[in-house]
Order: sequence, then C-alpha cells, then structure tokens
Amino acid sequence: MRYIQRQSTYARSLHWIHTVACLSLYVTGLILFIPSVAAAVGVSTVQGARIIHRVMAAIFIIAPVVSIFIQPKGFVHVLKGWFFKWDDKDKEFMKKFVPYLLLGGKQHMPDQKYMKSGQALADIPVVLLSIAIALTGIVLVWPDFFGGGAFVRWMLFAHDAVMVLLGIMMIAHIYIGAGIFQPYRGSGRIMFGDGKVSEADALYHWGTWAREVLAEGGDNVTTE
Amino acid sequence: MAETAIMYDSSKCTACKGCQVACKQWNQLSSPLTSDEYTYTKSFQAPLDLSPKTWLIINFSEEDKAVGIDWNFMRNSCFHCTEAACEKACPVGAITHAENGAVSINQEKCIGCRYCVASCPFGVPRWDEATNTTFKCWQCQDRTTADRKPACVSTCPTGALQFGDRADMLAAARDRVAELKEAGFTKAEVYGENELGGLHTIVVAQRGLEAHGLIRDPKIGLTDFWQLLKPLGGIAAAGVVGALGFSYFMARDYSRDTMVLDDATGQLVKVTEVKK
Repeated sequence: MRYIQRQSTYARSLHWIHTVACLSLYVTGLILFIPSVAAAVGVSTVQGARIIHRVMAAIFIIAPVVSIFIQPKGFVHVLKGWFFKWDDKDKEFMKKFVPYLLLGGKQHMPDQKYMKSGQALADIPVVLLSIAIALTGIVLVWPDFFGGGAFVRWMLFAHDAVMVLLGIMMIAHIYIGAGIFQPYRGSGRIMFGDGKVSEADALYHWGTWAREVLAEGGDNVTTE
Repeated sequence: MAETAIMYDSSKCTACKGCQVACKQWNQLSSPLTSDEYTYTKSFQAPLDLSPKTWLIINFSEEDKAVGIDWNFMRNSCFHCTEAACEKACPVGAITHAENGAVSINQEKCIGCRYCVASCPFGVPRWDEATNTTFKCWQCQDRTTADRKPACVSTCPTGALQFGDRADMLAAARDRVAELKEAGFTKAEVYGENELGGLHTIVVAQRGLEAHGLIRDPKIGLTDFWQLLKPLGGIAAAGVVGALGFSYFMARDYSRDTMVLDDATGQLVKVTEVKK
C-alpha cells in the first residue's frame, strides 16, 4: 500500500503543542467557569489552575505567531488551503455533509481538494474565534491597563462566550479529526502520528488531491 | 437577624473625613506616608479614589455657583447590594452575603481574578497586587455582630451616618427627603430602596442622584447574562455530544472497500472488499 505524506513534522509539532495548550486551557478554564467545580477542588488548586491557564495561554498565542515567521511558506500554504474557489464538488460536499455525519457516513461524497470545503468552513471561524479569545484573555490578564470597568466586563463575557463556541467546535473537531467517527478512523495518524495517510484513505477523503500527489510521485509518496 | 443598613445623609455631611479615618483605624488599613502620593486636582477630596487600603472615601463633587460652591458630598464605599454582581461573578464563592445583607470578601478564598472588580457597577472592589486579593468595605461585620455600629457610623459627629434596621433607615431617609424638599431642595431623593434588589447603604441625595454621582437604576444585566452562559453552554455542549453520539451509533457498522488508484488507467481498483 502506498502512503502520502500529508503533514510535515513542523505542522504536527505545532498541532501537538496547540493540542496540549488547548486541552489545558479548557480544563483550567472550566475550573474558573463553573463555581461548583472551583468549590470542589479548593482554593489552592484554583489558584494553580489560574497560573497554568496563563502559561498555556501564552503558549497558545506565541506558538502560531512564531510559526508564521519560522515557516512563512507553511502559513501561506494554510491560507491558500482556506481561501480557494469553490466548485460544484465543494458545494455538493457541504450539502451532503450533515446527513453524511449524522446518518453513519453512508452517502457517497464527492472528491475533494487538499482542503475539504467543510474543513475550510470550520477552520476559518475557529481561527477567528481563537484570535478573539486570545485578545479578550489579554485584557483579562491586565484589566487595569485597559481601563477596567464596563469594557473589562464585556471582555469577560466575550471570553466566556467564545470559549463556549470554540468548545463546541472543538468537540466536533476531535470527533472527526481524531477518527472517532468511523468513516474517519485512522485520521489521527495524520496529525498525531507520522503525518502519513494511506492511499485508500486519501482517495476516499481528498480524492482530487490524492490523485494529484500520486501522479506527481516523489518523496511524498512511499510504500509500506 | 433583620436586614440592616447604613444611612448616609449627604445634607448633614460636612466631609470632615472622620469616617475615612475611623474605617482605616478599625480595619488597620495603612495610609501612604509620602506627601505626593496623589495628583493635585484642585479638589478638596482626598484620597482621590478607593484602593485596597482605602475602603471608604467622601467624594467631593464641587460645583461652582455665582458665589461659593455646592459641595455635593457622597459617601463612596460598598453599597452591599442584594443582587450583588460581585458575588455572582466570583468563581470561587469568596464573596458572600451575611444574614443582615452585608457583602464581604473572604481573602482566604479570594484568588485575585478581579471578576468582581469588573462586575461591580459602582467600581468598588479593589485588587491588591501585593497580596493578589481584592478588598472592599465589609460593613464592619466584626462590630455589627457584636451589636456595635460600623466604625464609620460610630465616629460621625453630625449624624450624617446612621446604622440600624434597613426598614428604619429607609423610613428615616424618606422623612429626611421630605424635609429637604420642604426646605427647597426639590431634587432630593432616596437612593438604595429598590436599586439592585435593595441596597444596604441608603443615601439621602440632597441635590438629586446625578449631582452626587449616583448611578440612576444601576444594572448588572451583563453579569446575569454571563451567568446564563454556564447553563446555556452546558446545554449546547450536551446537544453536540448527543448529536455526535447519535452519529457514532448510526455509523457503528460502518466499513468500506479498500480502493487504490490504478496508475495506468486512472481508475479506482478494489483491493479488499468488505463483507456486506
């Protein structure tokens, strides 16, 4: 069976860092968000959670920003992946995706490019919401610098509202991306393993892209 | 225990600042020792603002008249709201109501998140960088539970500050406002009767609320809505997990043929077939 290198070592490392940061931010954030949890774990744990939350928030923000400078080509590649011209297959994919997801993945889905239309549609709001949660979080770390009062009150509300939205998208992302959803089984290897996807899975998920890469051959295609 | 309240009568206040000193003395709150700690603003008010070590100040709202000044003093400290935004916002339950309605911060529990600072519509709680905890007036609960008046009230020489059952304080405030109106202060108002569920600091605003810097009909709607996020967020997350659980159930028998590309023809070729 042939395998295609879909994600680079750098991209996977960044994804690992962000995964750890995101999960830590959610665990520590929920301790602050839900008073009964805070009361259950005790004051010193809450205080520790706040410190971890801030350290992880710094990693959450710094890691992708630094990556833009270290791997500018990778950043451009990601942007190109999001902003492509949708064709009929992309539109058809989106029309079919919800029944495909909810009814057991039995529908035939059209071939997709490197980035599925649904992926792009989910990734862009996730990035925008991530920027929003980072900016509102910065205000909460230095409320006095930003004048305190009503502005900080709004930022606190916005921070938590965005957290809820991101949390919902994160659950769906994990379900699909980590391959808990049966038709996506094995997808976890792409970001958490060696970055490779089997020819069969690549043709199933990103048919147009897989045909292009297989036709090109080269180092990105290996046989195992 | 009946609800109690402090009543501040701005028409009787001379801004002697005895209450400020008594508060600091009883609660052992140090004052800055330098001479130039505060920015000179031409106002007689000092200090200019509350701080972690200043829980009560008399605000001076000096308005120039043709001759002289309308002083419009106002006691600036915690109002001990019934619907206390600070209490609702505190993630660790460090802010609580006493039976008499006083709201206090337990510094042992405070984690210095400053959510209370952001939530209070009056801007009362103040965060202390040195201890990473937040402070505000606690209505001298150590005194009131021992049948003593709060320190500020006990030292007031003009009777501008009184302490007692909230109902009595409200009645006294209404009577005083009626007297002031008769005396020509037509804008005189009582503050604290219904605001935020009823305050435990009642104010006689001699020249009307705005003149004394009081917020008419203060709201904590955003804090309430923020609190609503928690159950709504939980319901939304549960909904998504439920939908994905349904998806997982529907796909429980999922399998597909393994198809690879025939480079020569460009067609997909079945390598392994799934048993149907």
